Amino acid sequence: MSDDPDKVWPTGLNLREAEEVHSYLIDGTRVFGAIALLAHLLVAVATPWLG
Amino acid sequence: MFDYRNFALRKLAGIAPRYLPFADVATDDVPLSRLLRLSLFQVTVGMALVLLVGTLNRVMIVELSVPATLVAGMLALPLLFAPLRTLIGHRSDVHVSALGLRRVPYIWKGTLYQFGGFAIMPFALLVLSGYGDAVDAPRWLGLSSAAIAFLLVGAGLHMVQTVGLALATDLVEEQDQPKVVGLMYVMLLVGMVVSALVFGALLENYTPGKLVQVIQGSAVVTVALNLFAMWKQEARDRNRAETMRVTPVVTFSTAWKTFVANPGTHRLLVVIGLGTFGFGMADVLLEPYGGQVLGMSVADTTKLTALLATGTLFGFGIASRVLGAGGNPVALGRIGAAIGMPGFAAIIASSLGGGTLLFLAGTMATGVGAGLFGHATLTATIRNAPPNQIGLALGAWGAVQATCAGIGVALAGIVRDVLVGLEVSAGLQPATPYTLVFTIEVVFLGLAILAAAPIGYLATKRRQSDSKRTTADSQQNPVEVI
Repeated sequence: MSDDPDKVWPTGLNLREAEEVHSYLIDGTRVFGAIALLAHLLVAVATPWLG
Repeated sequence: MFDYRNFALRKLAGIAPRYLPFADVATDDVPLSRLLRLSLFQVTVGMALVLLVGTLNRVMIVELSVPATLVAGMLALPLLFAPLRTLIGHRSDVHVSALGLRRVPYIWKGTLYQFGGFAIMPFALLVLSGYGDAVDAPRWLGLSSAAIAFLLVGAGLHMVQTVGLALATDLVEEQDQPKVVGLMYVMLLVGMVVSALVFGALLENYTPGKLVQVIQGSAVVTVALNLFAMWKQEARDRNRAETMRVTPVVTFSTAWKTFVANPGTHRLLVVIGLGTFGFGMADVLLEPYGGQVLGMSVADTTKLTALLATGTLFGFGIASRVLGAGGNPVALGRIGAAIGMPGFAAIIASSLGGGTLLFLAGTMATGVGAGLFGHATLTATIRNAPPNQIGLALGAWGAVQATCAGIGVALAGIVRDVLVGLEVSAGLQPATPYTLVFTIEVVFLGLAILAAAPIGYLATKRRQSDSKRTTADSQQNPVEVI
């Protein structure tokens, strides 16, 4: 393995690369979360399951 | 003591390259299987288009009884995103990524939006149509959520198509580009035909539950196919990442100025617009024309679409072969438009006593013409694109093409409806509205041919000046794995 101090264990990515991969995860979670929220809201309006 | 850390590291290092979603090397020769896999994104784009323009159009009007004008407005929303394709293409050209990626992040984002749109769309439509308890829901809720769903799908499919085509162009050498363009077009057509058949069969007995299943199923299929298509297509590249980091940001306006400074660029875009508009108007009118004017049965008119598609496939095939052998794309585009003109003339003549056979021949000819024209102009766009602006060039192509096709379809419908309405009061022939639209198409194709005339000359001049152009950012420095 190279001795780059920037490398993040255990993937061999350096810090910037790891942060970019992480940003995709965060973005994806936000978009999926927002969509799931909206979809649930709409379903609740059409066929309420609470009360 | 057993060194877990080292053991885990070695294990991970051993499996990583095989399962990472990026290619280790962008090789010089890309195997056909990999291109076929990449072209799957076009299948999802075709599927989304069919679902929007064909299936949902009918379901919303017939089964959900949403007013037709509202449906037309909703379905026009994705079109608003078409001009933004230029910007998306540019953004992918100048994307800064620590991983050295340019295209894949945008395909992924586009896939997310497309998925998201399909995920909320069925519920939005059900609320819009007042299904169940939604009768009491405020009107704006259904309207705005349906609008969001259509906008998301539109944004997603425009992003995926623009950036996906740019990635395909990045991957292959210049002499192979016509084949790739052909492949992409064929896959779009395949996606549209197959999904139209599947959606038709699935929604035969409509229930709200079926609608939810079909639309959300296509959301899942979109993500699955696009992930499979993207897998290992773009190489991780530390050198390129470093270059991206230090390169000053190019603004969109600067990039656009450089792009249109190329001789012939403006003209090519105009030709694409005119030709696409000309060919696009026919799509929605051939079937009602055959039925109302020539008295063909429903089953016969459905076969018309198949005939048109067969002609288009022929066009793609011929174009791939001719352009792959080094033919001039602009000249071929002119030939395509020139085949389309007598095609439409034959379609007009068939109502003036020419008969059904002439109509079928005309339909076939317009199909071949449209195939040749579409393939040739896209190839011309790719060939003219400066190597660091491929995304921008394809974005501009897509913006012009999608906008003009959309306007063409909409206008054809409007002109026909207005004239059919007049027909009763003014005593017009049933063929008149169609004849008018088909005449407009002939005129526009003629204009496209005229506008294309000087491009060949300009292009050869340019070609001589930079014949030694090489792919500037050839991906020769992949990340070393371990």
